[in-house]
Formats: sequence, C-alpha cells, structure tokens
Amino acid sequence: MTVDVVKRTPSARRLEKSRPLVWSAIGRIALYSLLGIIAVVMVMPFVWMVLTSLKSSQDLAASPPTLLPTEWKWSNYAEAMQAAPFVTYARNSLIIAVSHTAINLVIASMAGYALARLKFRGSNLAFMAVLGALMIPTYTKIIPEFLIVRFMPLFGGNDLFGQGGTGWLDTWWALIVPGAVTPFAVFLFRQFYMDLPVELEEAARLDGVSELGIWARIMTPLIKPAFITAGLLTFVDSWNNFLWPLIVTHSDSMRVIQVGLSVFRTENGTQWAYLMAGTTLATAPMVLLFILGQKYFVRGFANAGIK
Amino acid sequence: MAAPAMLHLTIWIGVPVLAAFALSFTSYDVLSSPEFIGLENYMDLLHDSVFRRAMINTLVYVFFVVPVAMALGLLIALMLNMQIRARALFRTAVFIPQVTATIAVALVWLWIYDPRSGLFNAILSFFGFPTHDWLSSTTLAMPAVILVGIWQGIGLKMLIYLAALQALPEDVYEAAAVDGAPKWRQFFSITLPLLKPTTFFVVVTSVISAFQAFDLIYILTDGGPANTTSMITYEIYKSAFREFRMGYACAQSIILFVVLVILTIINRRINGGDRGDR
Repeated sequence: MTVDVVKRTPSARRLEKSRPLVWSAIGRIALYSLLGIIAVVMVMPFVWMVLTSLKSSQDLAASPPTLLPTEWKWSNYAEAMQAAPFVTYARNSLIIAVSHTAINLVIASMAGYALARLKFRGSNLAFMAVLGALMIPTYTKIIPEFLIVRFMPLFGGNDLFGQGGTGWLDTWWALIVPGAVTPFAVFLFRQFYMDLPVELEEAARLDGVSELGIWARIMTPLIKPAFITAGLLTFVDSWNNFLWPLIVTHSDSMRVIQVGLSVFRTENGTQWAYLMAGTTLATAPMVLLFILGQKYFVRGFANAGIK
Repeated sequence: MAAPAMLHLTIWIGVPVLAAFALSFTSYDVLSSPEFIGLENYMDLLHDSVFRRAMINTLVYVFFVVPVAMALGLLIALMLNMQIRARALFRTAVFIPQVTATIAVALVWLWIYDPRSGLFNAILSFFGFPTHDWLSSTTLAMPAVILVGIWQGIGLKMLIYLAALQALPEDVYEAAAVDGAPKWRQFFSITLPLLKPTTFFVVVTSVISAFQAFDLIYILTDGGPANTTSMITYEIYKSAFREFRMGYACAQSIILFVVLVILTIINRRINGGDRGDR
C-alpha cells in the first residue's frame, strides 16, 4: 500500500475544475488553515519542550510564561547531564534497543521462515501459539515474568531453586532477554516469506543448499523491506518501553532513559529545564528515525494496528 | 528453525500466562511461598471500591478517547487524501506523538498543565477562559488525562484511515459524480460504508490499547487525586509492585485479560477470521 500516491483520473479532475474558481480558492485556504492549526497543536508540545529546555530559571518562574526564552541557555544541557546521568541512561536504552532489534530480526525471521515454508510436526500448532501470544496483553504476563527473573536459578546469588539472591534483577539479562523476541515480528516475517515463489527454494534444495542456507542467502535478501519495518518497530518499542525496566532495575547505572526521566521528576522536586533537556534527548532520536523511515513505519503500523 | 523463537515465547509468554492464572488463586507476597486461597482474590475484587473505581475510570477513558481520536483521525485522513501540497509534512506532524515514548509525552504535558507557568493555562487565560490546577482537581484531572490520550492517539488512526482511503475504488466516485451526487452525499453514501471494516478494526484495536493506558497515569497523576484517574493497569502495578500482593494483582490482570480476549475474538470474527490466512 502506498500512502503517498493519490491517483486522479481525468474525469475527476475535470469535475474539480468545473467548480467556480473563487470557491475552490476559499476552500483551499480553509483546508490549509485547518491543517496548519492541527499541525501546530500536534507539534506544539514538542516545541514547548525544546524551548523550556533552553530557559533560565527566571523565565521558568514567569507567570504567564513567555514563549521564547529571554536568554537562550544552551548550558542547560550540560548542567542537566550533571544533575542526572541522562547520557548513561540513553546509552543503556541504546544497548537494549540494539540488542532487541538484532535478536528479534534473527530469531523471529528464522521462525517466520519455518512457519511459512517448512512443514514440520506441530507447525500448525506453533503458528496458532504465535497468534495466541499476539493476543496476550503485557499486564497479564508481567507479574510472573518478574517472578521468573527474580527467581532465576544460579544467578545473582540464587541457588539451584532460585532462592537466596536477587536473580536477574538489576542486570542486563533482565533488561534484554525477556523482551527479545516478539510474536508480532514472527507473524510479520511469516507473512512476507509466504509471498515468495516456491520455485526459488526448490531449486536451491535441489542444489543441495541447507535450510539454514536457503533462509539466510536466498529468501531473506528478498524481503529486506520486512527487515527494515520489523527492525524499526522493534527499536522504537524497545527504546520507549517503561514499565518493564522500571520494575526490574533499581540502581542508577542500570536505568534506561524513560525510567531515568520519571525518577528525576520525583527525586529533585522537578527542575523543569533539566527535565525537558533530558526529555528532548529521549525524544529526538525516535523522531529522527521516524522521519527517515516513514515509508516502513507506515507499512508496519498500518499492518499492526496495535502498537 | 522455529525452535529458538518458540522456546522464548513459551518461557516468557506461555508460562507466565498460565502462572498468572494459577497465582490468581493464591495469596503470595514473594517472600513466603504462595498459599492457595481459592476464589478469595476474586471475591475481594468484587468488594474493592478502589478497583471498581479504576474499572469505571478505565471505561470512561476508553469511552472518550477512542471515538474522539477516531473522528479526528478520520477527518485529518480525509483532508490529507485530497490533492494537497506537503502532505508528508502534515502526516509527520500528526503522527509524531505516536512514535514518541508515552513517558516523554506525559512529562511534557505535566509541564504544560503546570498551574503557574504552564502553557495550557496561559492559552486559556489569553482567550479569557478560567484557569485551573488541572491535574490536582478531582473533576478536571480525568478530562486532562483524556485530552492527552486523544492527542497522542490521533496519529495512528489517521494513518490507518489514510491507507484505507487510498485503497478505495475510484470508479464508484466517478459514477456518483456523473450522477451529480454532492461531496457530502458521496461521503455518507460511499466512503463511510466502504470504510466500515477499517472502522471496526480501528475501534477494536484502539479500545484494546486504551484499556492498557499506564505510562500516562503513572507520570501525570499517580492515579490521583483520590483515585479519580486510577486505571486497571495502574491498580495491577500498585498491588504487585508497591503492596507485593502478587496473587491479588494476578486476579486483577486476569480480569483485564478476559475483557481483552473477548474484544479480540469479536474483532477476528467480524474481520473474517485471522489476518494470517491468505
């Protein structure tokens, strides 16, 4: 589906032309004004965020607030980094998001390929299980997930029965492993592999290429767009995740950016300029990524429906 | 080749769901082992006025956020479907709140709602409206939260509608135009009926995700004032990770699960089976 292309047939165009010019001009102006207002309302909070991050404390205390800073305090950013290790938080988030994306792309695409192209015992059951997993809300599984992490045997001082220590709590394991593979990615990959011609893999199989080879060298290069789509969605989801990192970490050095921001608010009686500087740091990469990968996001979101 | 993924999904989704169900019949505080108490958690839920309040709040939130965001999303999609310049720019503006973390969005709105130096009151007083301490008021906190929910939710609905609009057959419109049907007539007699499957899909997916609003509440109000903005997910979080009543929290999460499963099944029924079969 292409969202950018609007096709107009000659007859439709003629019909549009036949309306009086003045009215259509007024209509145009009204349309653009309305869209302009909507765009401003949607973007304003972000503008406000950035402007706040550059204000001095006098500006912040002003009531009613001034829109622009009277003095542009770029030093707020450096000071915010001193007030809280936002860079460390962002780095942690980046490590987790990159790991999630890499693991998900490999493991989910293998599964998607197997479910789409291989007949194995229980393949139908496996696909039903993936569909079932898609329907499970976060909040139903999060408590037992936490308990599994907490009682992970032989980690964090735990004995073989998971007693005595803290398991995976406050470790990279807890942050990376449980969320690494998503049923949505498996499902998405399966859909893409389904569309490839059978002849390709049959020819490869006759040539003696292994299944792993067919997946890696023949089929996967044909569905690069699926990889970009799934990769971007996984990355953004992982970067934006909040509740899970909140409950499995407590030390400052393991915090991710979203948790770091929320904690900064409560710890320091909210220094708004610094908080907004941190929030800008958390927001900007995703906005940039979206603008660069619009085409793939649109496809992914329109197919997924649910974030 | 499907084994690693299936193993992962079994450990981190399959087992937890069964465990949540099992734990919902126990009393469990993490420190001592779980104790079977039958349906007691569920009976307690019936009499828990805070949880009842949270359920009502969730319904109110869903009831206002979903239709309003959908209507606005459709309206914007219709405008963007016309021949206009800078379509990608407008689309990006509307969609950006959707890709931004809810925590970041909520923090920005917390600042916008700030009673003294916030942007919201400044705009209201500029137009001569009375100002309020929105998030601290038992009557205004919910509308304030809902407003943010709508603002963030418009983008995705717009995008799905826009995709659907561009896939509509054109000949029907040409025929209608030749017959002299005015634009509004075309909209109500052709566009809306053709969009019905899309609308249904959007309703159900939006309701499902609105039911799970958590991050917004966590930052904006902490469920307050006086539980007026607490939601089901927030109660689950509170029971589990602040009060360490794991069994009770699991019972709450099972209630949420049942509601969402029913919604999902309705969705699949009406949208013609699962979208996986082609």
